[in-house]
Amino acid sequence: MQAQLAYLLFEIRRMVRNKRYMLFTLGFPVLFYLLFLHVTGSSGPEARIAGTTWGAYYMVSMASFAAMIAGFNAGGPRLAGERASGWVRQLRVTPLPGWAYVTTKLSAGMVAALPALLLVEIVGAASGHVHLAGVVWLEISLVIWVGAIPFAALGVLLGFLVGSETSYPLTNAVVFLLAFFGGEFTPVKVLPPVMKDIAKAMPTYNFSSLGWSLLAREAPNGVHILILAGYLAVFSLLVIWRYRGDQAHLVG
Amino acid sequence: MVGERLPGLAPNLDLMLPDSDVSSTEHVVLFEGIFKRYGPVTALADVNISVQRGETVVLLGPNGAGKSTAINLLLALTEPDEGRIRVLSVPPREAVAAGKVGAMLQSGSAIGFPNGVSVMEVMELARKLYPRPLDMDILIELAGLGEFAYQRIDRLSGGQIQRVRFGWAIAGDPELIFLDEPTVGLDVESRRAFWKMMREFTGSGKTVLFATHYLEEADAIADRVVLLNKGKVVADGSPTTIKASVNQRTLRFNMEDTSVEELLCLPGVSHVEVRGKEVLITSTDSDETVRALCANQLPFEDLEVVGAALEDAFVALTAVESEIN
Repeated sequence: MQAQLAYLLFEIRRMVRNKRYMLFTLGFPVLFYLLFLHVTGSSGPEARIAGTTWGAYYMVSMASFAAMIAGFNAGGPRLAGERASGWVRQLRVTPLPGWAYVTTKLSAGMVAALPALLLVEIVGAASGHVHLAGVVWLEISLVIWVGAIPFAALGVLLGFLVGSETSYPLTNAVVFLLAFFGGEFTPVKVLPPVMKDIAKAMPTYNFSSLGWSLLAREAPNGVHILILAGYLAVFSLLVIWRYRGDQAHLVG
Repeated sequence: MVGERLPGLAPNLDLMLPDSDVSSTEHVVLFEGIFKRYGPVTALADVNISVQRGETVVLLGPNGAGKSTAINLLLALTEPDEGRIRVLSVPPREAVAAGKVGAMLQSGSAIGFPNGVSVMEVMELARKLYPRPLDMDILIELAGLGEFAYQRIDRLSGGQIQRVRFGWAIAGDPELIFLDEPTVGLDVESRRAFWKMMREFTGSGKTVLFATHYLEEADAIADRVVLLNKGKVVADGSPTTIKASVNQRTLRFNMEDTSVEELLCLPGVSHVEVRGKEVLITSTDSDETVRALCANQLPFEDLEVVGAALEDAFVALTAVESEIN
């Protein structure tokens, strides 16, 4: 356990020092939040949407986006680069169990997701346009954090699938497409019908819906949880499959 | 000679054994009847290797000889199709998991370590991955990391990175160290410094297995050479034994107006090279060749007779094997 913990701390230290990673995970969601907080016409952040205000709704969208991108990028491009550089192979010939590499990437993503989503919430609270009870703050934070697990798994999966050269643009494109089609940038209800149907199948929509419903003081819909769990199961199985394939590839 | 123990080496080995409950017959590395195939390609065919505690063994072979496969098997990165492998009496995976193996792998042009961390941080991680690591001070000193311990790993020179790799391999104080091309890309001085560093670490009964393309280095460093060709062990013995097995010497002398044809007709001569005044003759029977040089009253000066270099043995042994196949 000491070895796994040491490796996790090592990874977190590297993440914090990586300017590109910090910009993406912490900077972008906050930037988007501040940019689009006032785009909803005359009523601005106080406009009503889905049983809450735009200010609160969009804060949950961007907090979800932040948690997703943090979890995702902890695996993703970094993992692809480390496979190419020989680091994964070098770790494999130490007593660190092979699976610990994957679980460390997932854990690092989850550790990074927490400050990323909290920062958006702090900015939301500071903007003066979000008024929630203390327990609701706690609930949405927890739900968004836990709900980001499938995206950390997807990040690891993509890290195994893509080459190190293409990994940054490719993984970021995936993140932005997921966010866009899942209604994190533009509310699903203002989208054309076809886009609504697409959104409902996206992991991002089901993810953000958990937080959105909490804002309207509703319990999260079980269907969203089931769909997210399904995505997590599929991503995890694919990670295991690719991980095994990679062992053979490492030998090359 | 294939697979044979060297009788002359055994007494020394006993002296080098550390005070432990390990018996002198223990094999640090044991390959028994190993076969490994990748689809239609047979990478290793009936390979037998045994390495005793305290030996420094070099694994040689042309590209595609099966070296990488043997290394991957040793480090539990792959499994054999047939045969049995033991590292310190247990399967390789268990030996690696128990922290008894340290490896310095090649990583091509990449540094092989993640960026954004200092040398010290990488060494701290390496130490924490192993159950019984070296003290940090000792590690830094043995691997010669003192001058740049606090520098970022992505800002080091090639020679410094090699030292970090070596540090990574020995951090856990392993009993078996594997070094893959440890001095590639280093200048002569750094190479010498590297091997000095390694000897300091291995003085106390550590076992070292390494692969290299520098044959002079293999000759100078290794107690034993295991030569692979086309998936088989074609030679296994001390560098001296292996060089002697190639019944070949080089005669070097100076002579004016050399006739290559005439020299080629002398007994034992297999190859003649003329560089201005300097003549190099490869002979399988140097005594007879020298006698013939004298008998023919050739005006040679400054005659030197040198034994085959390990490179000559390497070429001869791998070529012979190719012809048999």
